[in-house]
Amino acid sequence: MLKTIAKPVSWLSLVVLILPSFLFLIGRIEFDSVNWIMLLATIVWFISASLWMWDGDTKNS
Amino acid sequence: MAASEGAQETQAASGEFEREPVPAKAHLGFKSFIGMYAGEHCAGTELMIGPLFVAAGASAFDLVVGLLLGNALAVLSWIFICAPIATRVRLTLYYQLEKICGRHLVIFYNLANGVMFCFLAGAMITVSATAVGVWFDIPMPGLNDLYPTSVSWVVTVAVIGGLISVVAAFGYQTVSKFANIAAPWMVLVFLAFGFVGFRQFMDVTNTEIHSVGDVWTLATTQIWKGGDALPGQVKFTFWHVLFFAWFCNMAMHIGMSDLTVFRFARKSWYGVASGAGMYVGHFMAWIGAASLYAYQLHLDPMDTDVLPGPLAFRAAGVVGLLCVIIAGWTTANPTIYRAGLAFQALVPQSSRFVVTLVTGGLATVAGMFPAIAMQLLGFVAIYGLILMPMGAVIFVDFWLMRKFGLQSNYAELSGKTFNLAAAVAWVVTLAVAWLLVKYAGVQIYFVSLPGWFVAAGLYIVVSKFYQKKIRPA
Repeated sequence: MLKTIAKPVSWLSLVVLILPSFLFLIGRIEFDSVNWIMLLATIVWFISASLWMWDGDTKNS
Repeated sequence: MAASEGAQETQAASGEFEREPVPAKAHLGFKSFIGMYAGEHCAGTELMIGPLFVAAGASAFDLVVGLLLGNALAVLSWIFICAPIATRVRLTLYYQLEKICGRHLVIFYNLANGVMFCFLAGAMITVSATAVGVWFDIPMPGLNDLYPTSVSWVVTVAVIGGLISVVAAFGYQTVSKFANIAAPWMVLVFLAFGFVGFRQFMDVTNTEIHSVGDVWTLATTQIWKGGDALPGQVKFTFWHVLFFAWFCNMAMHIGMSDLTVFRFARKSWYGVASGAGMYVGHFMAWIGAASLYAYQLHLDPMDTDVLPGPLAFRAAGVVGLLCVIIAGWTTANPTIYRAGLAFQALVPQSSRFVVTLVTGGLATVAGMFPAIAMQLLGFVAIYGLILMPMGAVIFVDFWLMRKFGLQSNYAELSGKTFNLAAAVAWVVTLAVAWLLVKYAGVQIYFVSLPGWFVAAGLYIVVSKFYQKKIRPA
């Protein structure tokens, strides 16, 4: 169950990770906000991805 | 640049099919190779290489077109040189070499490989140290520094290198798993570097972008203007960038290291998967990192230090620093492990734990010397050149030997443990390359191409005499 939720959350965190820098590129967001959102997305990614990727087969990585 | 082959290491570590062809049931699909290459070519050293292109005076055209074409040549080398042999023989590089060259010559190859890996891991530790240096405000080395610049720098590298070495010795597999998780995140952080760097340039130059043409104009007139290289750096032209991109992983494709990877591929065209690594790591990441450094120079032309930590911090704050540390750590870890494996082959009865620890210690000492990281472009070219001749030997042995009436896998068939023809091809090729660089004015970035033909020709010619002389009755 936890893994089922963790997977979409982790993918979503990657979208959130890259989106602010793109919005900064097109002038829609301040630089400080970019840093904070990226940090938050990073934390969410490493927690959520660990839940379903940690036991994965490293051979197929 | 690719420092590690996670899958390769995992298989090597588990001892799978080390001395037998990979059976059909163990073959892997195309997707496995895409993920592996995309992740592994986003290493900490990408953050050095991109900026060093700028320091070398590469222009926007040199950089973009040179990288597009050079990476394409690298991918073609994987597809047409490495993968076809890998999927036909399905053996590790080391076993294939042993059949051709004999066990004793492979030991020398291992030694050369191990030393190169040590230096490469040292550069990765240097990269990570520049990020830790930002946190603790440590004075860091400049672009032209060769030796350790301060006690605090030495201590920082010692602590990071020590930690990486201990982890590599204790838990290679754990870091390998962590590296897999970090890979997609790292790729996107590299992309973010590019986005942020470009925007910062737009702001500082008051440029408005309305079309692709505007992007190119900004790139050519402000970001990568070209011109002279910074003092102490070799001037890079379009050809330098092209050949560097092609040959920076020469040990893997033309040098045949990735036989070990592609022996698991169902089809040889899976070599195209290397494109994921080339265009993510060696195009996007290099250009992103290059834009950050160009921005630094734009703000202060005297600030020529190539320090991935501060560059990444300026672009993405704490996440940037984490990216530099993790990129350095996750790639130094398997590199140290591989160097340890290579050295262990010299003393098979030694403990892998101790060998990895000692290897990590050597890499850490190397990392204290900024010369390797700051001269990374030249070092990478030398690394590829040193291992390339053995790739030529494997290529010739597989495709051409019988056409010349000679025997493939001669060491195995003759029972020899040292194939003199392969040894002569290797050593003389390196001597010729050295002479070309030293006396003919050919730069190190360009000698590998003629060097391959020298190695291939020498192996055939010397084999003609050598095999004839001791051909079994």
